[in-house]
Amino acid sequence: MTLFNTLWAAIGGIAGNKLRAALTTLGIVIGVASVISMLALGNGARAAVDANFRFLGSDMVQISVKQKIDQGELVPVGEILSYDDGLRMPGELPLVERVLMSVDGNGKVRHDREVLDMVVTGTTAEGLLTLASQGQVQPLRWPDGERLTADAFLARGRFFTPAEVVAGADVCVLGHKTANDLFNGDEPLEQIVWVNRKKCLVIGILTELEVTNPALRNQSRPNELLYLPISTAIVNLFDEEPSVQITARIEDESRMVTARAQIIDYLRQRHNIIKNEVGDYEDDFELTTRQDILGAQQEAARTFAFLLAAMAVVSLIVGGIGIMNVMLVSVTERTREIGVRMAVGAQQRDIVLQFLLEAVLISGFGGVLGSAVGVLSVPLAANFNRGVALLDPSSIPLALLVALLTGLLFGLYPAVRASRLDPIEALRYE
Amino acid sequence: MLQNNLVIQVNGLEKQYQMGDNVVHALCAVTFTVQRGEFIALMGPSGSGKSTLMHLLGCLDTPTAGDYRLNGRLVSQLSQRERAVVRNREIGFVFQTFNLLPRLTALENVLLPLLYSGRISAGRARSQSEQALTRVGLTERIHHKPTEMSGGQRQRVAIARALVNDPALILADEPTGNLDSRTGETIMALLGELNDDDRTIILVTHDPDVAAAAERTLHMKDGQIT
Repeated sequence: MTLFNTLWAAIGGIAGNKLRAALTTLGIVIGVASVISMLALGNGARAAVDANFRFLGSDMVQISVKQKIDQGELVPVGEILSYDDGLRMPGELPLVERVLMSVDGNGKVRHDREVLDMVVTGTTAEGLLTLASQGQVQPLRWPDGERLTADAFLARGRFFTPAEVVAGADVCVLGHKTANDLFNGDEPLEQIVWVNRKKCLVIGILTELEVTNPALRNQSRPNELLYLPISTAIVNLFDEEPSVQITARIEDESRMVTARAQIIDYLRQRHNIIKNEVGDYEDDFELTTRQDILGAQQEAARTFAFLLAAMAVVSLIVGGIGIMNVMLVSVTERTREIGVRMAVGAQQRDIVLQFLLEAVLISGFGGVLGSAVGVLSVPLAANFNRGVALLDPSSIPLALLVALLTGLLFGLYPAVRASRLDPIEALRYE
Repeated sequence: MLQNNLVIQVNGLEKQYQMGDNVVHALCAVTFTVQRGEFIALMGPSGSGKSTLMHLLGCLDTPTAGDYRLNGRLVSQLSQRERAVVRNREIGFVFQTFNLLPRLTALENVLLPLLYSGRISAGRARSQSEQALTRVGLTERIHHKPTEMSGGQRQRVAIARALVNDPALILADEPTGNLDSRTGETIMALLGELNDDDRTIILVTHDPDVAAAAERTLHMKDGQIT
């Protein structure tokens, strides 16, 4: 019998019991759909991690204050990581070429009658360079692959100079939307805005920006920005001196390990951290390098993959057993049909193929349906994961293949059983 | 008598079953021959071994001992796979309960043996099946399913299916058993016509009136032909 005719017979077999076949696929549908949406979650999380840490070059060490939760608030475990800690670092440590610093605070920004409550960012003079190297945002319609420079982010004016940062000058740079909101289309350059009741001269306007990672587009507002020199921000935005984020650029990448150790020694000295009774240091700061992030990310990916595999295996086994069960019932119900087919000359392999194809068709149908459900549920999954889910196109053929293999595996036993029936007994079966 | 004119040569055919501790001798040294074009009735009470003999003649089973030649070829010790080929090419079955596949149309049911033979094209298989259906007097309802047909029509479809591969032997097991007597008579008439076309038919029945239509009757009792 040709494959086409066998396929036709298998389709006929399923058509004879559509509802049962549809219900049987449910396990496969759920299994396949969950595999696809879980892979999308993993993929999205990976993309987000990639995007968030892209800026951390292999020659950089990121230093942040170690925090704990105290009465529902994040507070430093020891001393804060101060502006001064960062400022003095290049002078004290020859391996540190320079430091970039930033701090975010809430501010009330006013011009005329327009008042905005917004996050204000204090940075060093390399603020735009940091923005460019992070790669998270880019000017609107920026050509793919074109190298980003700090200047590309500026629409008009300039960013503040190192001298202005050290001096704590009262200057600021506005994001595109912030400028429009405050000035309603008037020219903001060389105008005064008030940040927390302190005068500030607008020296630059950023061009309109978009988030590069599509998965993150709905959770950030890249055009609502106000940059102050970090020294100015610390004075204007905070009652007490805040912790800053420090990124140290190391002169010689190959001496990363040494540089890292030097930074730790330097900060321990400044923060008066000494060995405790068991001989450990209880540091109040944390160092992160690209190597640390890659390691942690790989660890997380492994855990995630394991979880995923376990879930896929369980749901597909359940689905597969469902198929096996239905096929066994079908073989029993159709014993006489099998007997007739054998009497008119069907070989064992014809019978195996017919029932195997039937099982594979059912599971394949479940796979297709599951893929559709999976694809449709990606945005849903994203809602539960702060907007981070990205469909991995290769997960669809993978899930389909797995569904077909499940049908093949669990359909084999019923099919072989059907082919081993004694034609005489089968023909007598009532 | 020419040797190659013998469709069936059965020599010392035996079949034993193990039933618990007992060995049941279903067939004991059965020997007979059937010539091409013969119409034979196989009669006997239940338990006489006529079903067992029919299963052996139909290559659905293998004997414990003895030889069975079908169309000159020794088929008594063939493998399962080879027996399926013999059933497909040399034997046509007609059952008491018709045994049509309910989801298939009359034409598709008749096509089945040709599809399993895999030797002819789809187009030729179809025209051959239509011819077989015409031969049994069904030209109108070939696209109907068995459930939309009367008992007599269903048995005609079954007979067309038995004919379609042009087999050496048609085995009919109580073909009128599920039909009223008038319909039964038309089916017997049809089998008679097929016999007139030089087809070899073995009819299993316990009804003497049905057996009367055959040219020769083999009586069975206790696993032997009497």
